[in-house]
Amino acid sequence: MTARVAIVGSGAICGLGREPDAIWEAVRRGESAIARIRQWDSRAWVHGHAAEVDGCDAAELVGDRKLLKLLRRTHVFGFYAGMRALEQAGFVKERVPLWPAAIADYNDRSGIYVGVSGSAYQDQYEFLPLMARSDGEIGLFGAELARAVSPMWLLQTLPNNVLCHLGIRTGFSGPHACVVAHSTAGVLAVAEALDALRTGEVDRALAVAHVAPIEPQALQGYATLGLLGRDVVRPFDARGDGCLFGEGAAALALEPVDRAAARGASSLGEVLGSGAVSEGGALFAVDPGGEGLARAIELALADARCAPGDVGVIVAHGNGTRTSDRSEAAALQRVFGAAIPPVTAFKWATGHLFPAAALLDVILALAALRTGEVPGIATLREVDPACAPLPLSADPQRPRGELALVLSRGFAGANAALVVRAAR
Amino acid sequence: MSGRRTRVLVTGIGLVTPLGADAPSSWAAVCAGRSGIGPIRRFDASGFPVRIGAHAPDVEAAPLAPRARKYAARQHVFAAVAAAEALRDARVVPGSADTERWGCVVGSGMLGVEFAELAALQRRAAPAGVLEVERLEPTADPVAFARHQSIGGLALLVQQFGIRGPVSAVHTACASGGQAIGAALRLIRRGAADRVLAGGFDSMLTPVGLAGFCLLGALSPDNDEPARASRPFDRTRNGFVLGEGAGFLVLESAPAAAARGARAYAELAGAGDALSSYRITDPHPDGNGPIQAMRRALADADIAPEAVDYINAHGTSTVMNDRSEAAAIRAVFGSHCERLLVSSTKSLMGHLIAAAGAVEAALCALALRYGVAPVNANLTTRDPECDVPLVVGASQRRPLQVALSNSFGFGGANNAVVLRRAPDEEPGG
Repeated sequence: MTARVAIVGSGAICGLGREPDAIWEAVRRGESAIARIRQWDSRAWVHGHAAEVDGCDAAELVGDRKLLKLLRRTHVFGFYAGMRALEQAGFVKERVPLWPAAIADYNDRSGIYVGVSGSAYQDQYEFLPLMARSDGEIGLFGAELARAVSPMWLLQTLPNNVLCHLGIRTGFSGPHACVVAHSTAGVLAVAEALDALRTGEVDRALAVAHVAPIEPQALQGYATLGLLGRDVVRPFDARGDGCLFGEGAAALALEPVDRAAARGASSLGEVLGSGAVSEGGALFAVDPGGEGLARAIELALADARCAPGDVGVIVAHGNGTRTSDRSEAAALQRVFGAAIPPVTAFKWATGHLFPAAALLDVILALAALRTGEVPGIATLREVDPACAPLPLSADPQRPRGELALVLSRGFAGANAALVVRAAR
Repeated sequence: MSGRRTRVLVTGIGLVTPLGADAPSSWAAVCAGRSGIGPIRRFDASGFPVRIGAHAPDVEAAPLAPRARKYAARQHVFAAVAAAEALRDARVVPGSADTERWGCVVGSGMLGVEFAELAALQRRAAPAGVLEVERLEPTADPVAFARHQSIGGLALLVQQFGIRGPVSAVHTACASGGQAIGAALRLIRRGAADRVLAGGFDSMLTPVGLAGFCLLGALSPDNDEPARASRPFDRTRNGFVLGEGAGFLVLESAPAAAARGARAYAELAGAGDALSSYRITDPHPDGNGPIQAMRRALADADIAPEAVDYINAHGTSTVMNDRSEAAAIRAVFGSHCERLLVSSTKSLMGHLIAAAGAVEAALCALALRYGVAPVNANLTTRDPECDVPLVVGASQRRPLQVALSNSFGFGGANNAVVLRRAPDEEPGG
């Protein structure tokens, strides 16, 4: 019998706030964090809107000025959200009274699983001053290197930086993973954590995903592919014109249900199952029939040992691009037939947090199950006829049952799903 | 527990390394102790403090469909060639009936933008060295944008070979390739796939990649003696040599392999990961992290330390790594150390970074199959603080039953994988 896995802590930061509760309240109120980008002068940009984290005092978020020198913006978010989830779970506190050998064992049995989308263009901008000075002269570039670029440059840009620094801060030394897989990386990190908890490899795990994608070259790339909208994300709407970026992080602290109960930890809910597949197409291709997403959902439901009828609410990927939204609607019809539970999506409020999107969606889904209120898609005006079978609303809906299905889709034809339950 | 668990076999191997454009030529060079290290020749490195490296051969992107080739960066071409070889070697490809039961897990590198592109960006939009947003081209080049994606290499493989099961990419610096193999093992064990194309690819032998490691002072500056520059565990070692390439394995559940009568190089018996949680650059001097990774991999494989015959060490040839690793090996294997054979194949092919763990796991499978422990080249005076029995002088012929491969990354991620020789009575032996 595999262990049931409880969610005993959560942490999140995005344009709507830096606490799960504050983000939930903002979503409930229909607030969106999407606004004109302030990180550079974006006034001339057609696709110049995003959900930025404002007034981000990195030193305050990380609580360690020296560490900041080693972290980029995305790492600050991930480190912060991860630590918040661990603190809420009481993971670090419960170790305090232990004796040294038991602490070592505790750390060896604690895993960290991180999801990131990939490298940023800005990672290499630190070489631009040197390149300007050496004027295309590569001999000069090599010779001047040590005087022009920080010796720590490579280490500041490591994709596994949050894994590293959360490890150093907590002392956790157990199994781990750093998944670098565009938007599904967060779900894949949870899947790795789930596997380690179920097989007894670890006694506790942190799953965290983080992103800071709002940079000019990335925006241009997505815009060129026709994936970006102008100023509003309208999932499943006939007038939807594309997605917009968000930034931030989300984290879940996980522990076997019986272990959490034994130490009296309060539980937010359970992760019941996960599923992930590829459609096997090109990097940016999406199967119009939602074939891969339907399989991912079926695998997640099977992993959770439940049926489509058990699902009370679906938090869709809903990124506001026509191709993705329509294929998502097709997938949901494929799995749920005519009995689709209430569907919502949150990217209209938070922007697209890529690997962190699905983990933030899990946190919001748990709140929806707990309160019995599924926030509406506030920007929804007129449902795209191709998505008409989905029970969508701009207003709140009620969950039909006690499980939530959270969907995640990304480049490389990746589709992933998580099934969660809120604590009663 | 391990008795009920699905066993996982290595049924195909593909390599593109500084020692050869395929697995047979790379393996032959390892056995012969031939070095793949020389002057950097793909760009003018004359101004850099380090001017040597281990280039992989310039292989053709033939395994990729012609229309896909423009999306492939250099490391993606390595990946496609090695993956195609592994599938050919295993005599199996994802077919229409089982594509959903195939997975793909890769350890991929970190830099997507080529130096020439960065230079073009600088000339156009950062004349003074700081990006001026209004000077950017009005639109991006979609092909270049695709090539820049960290997941681009995985996407090319998945599309080319029609893999429709679970796919993932991992990155933990120099432990990436080993952790990809471990993640693939877990996918098969938990029933998410019957077969996984698993491996790693990287090419940091670029001006920016070389710059990053030069800045850290991690590379050997022995520009005048390239073939001797990488000398893991030698008292005079002074850094690693940057390499590039790819390694892929076809991993298969034992029932799936048996059903088609596949031959196996070895069983992928176990994998273990541990965080050092010490410092971002330095390994723990006592070997903390590597110790737990090796112990976990052995426990996962249900194999006693005394059963291990050969260790393919991470052995980067830096002072810190090799001491920490030797201490870890001593801690894990105790008195059995004297009967072990240890070597670092980085002495011949340099450090393939995100590909290293996958390439070295493949070398372990070959070592088991052919009964050869690869040489730890360039060892003249052993560092007394690296007290492990090294394969000195030449590769050694010896029947090997169990091999372990170590991969440790910047950021404190440590990985070990354990392979066991496929029993001769197994289909095809």
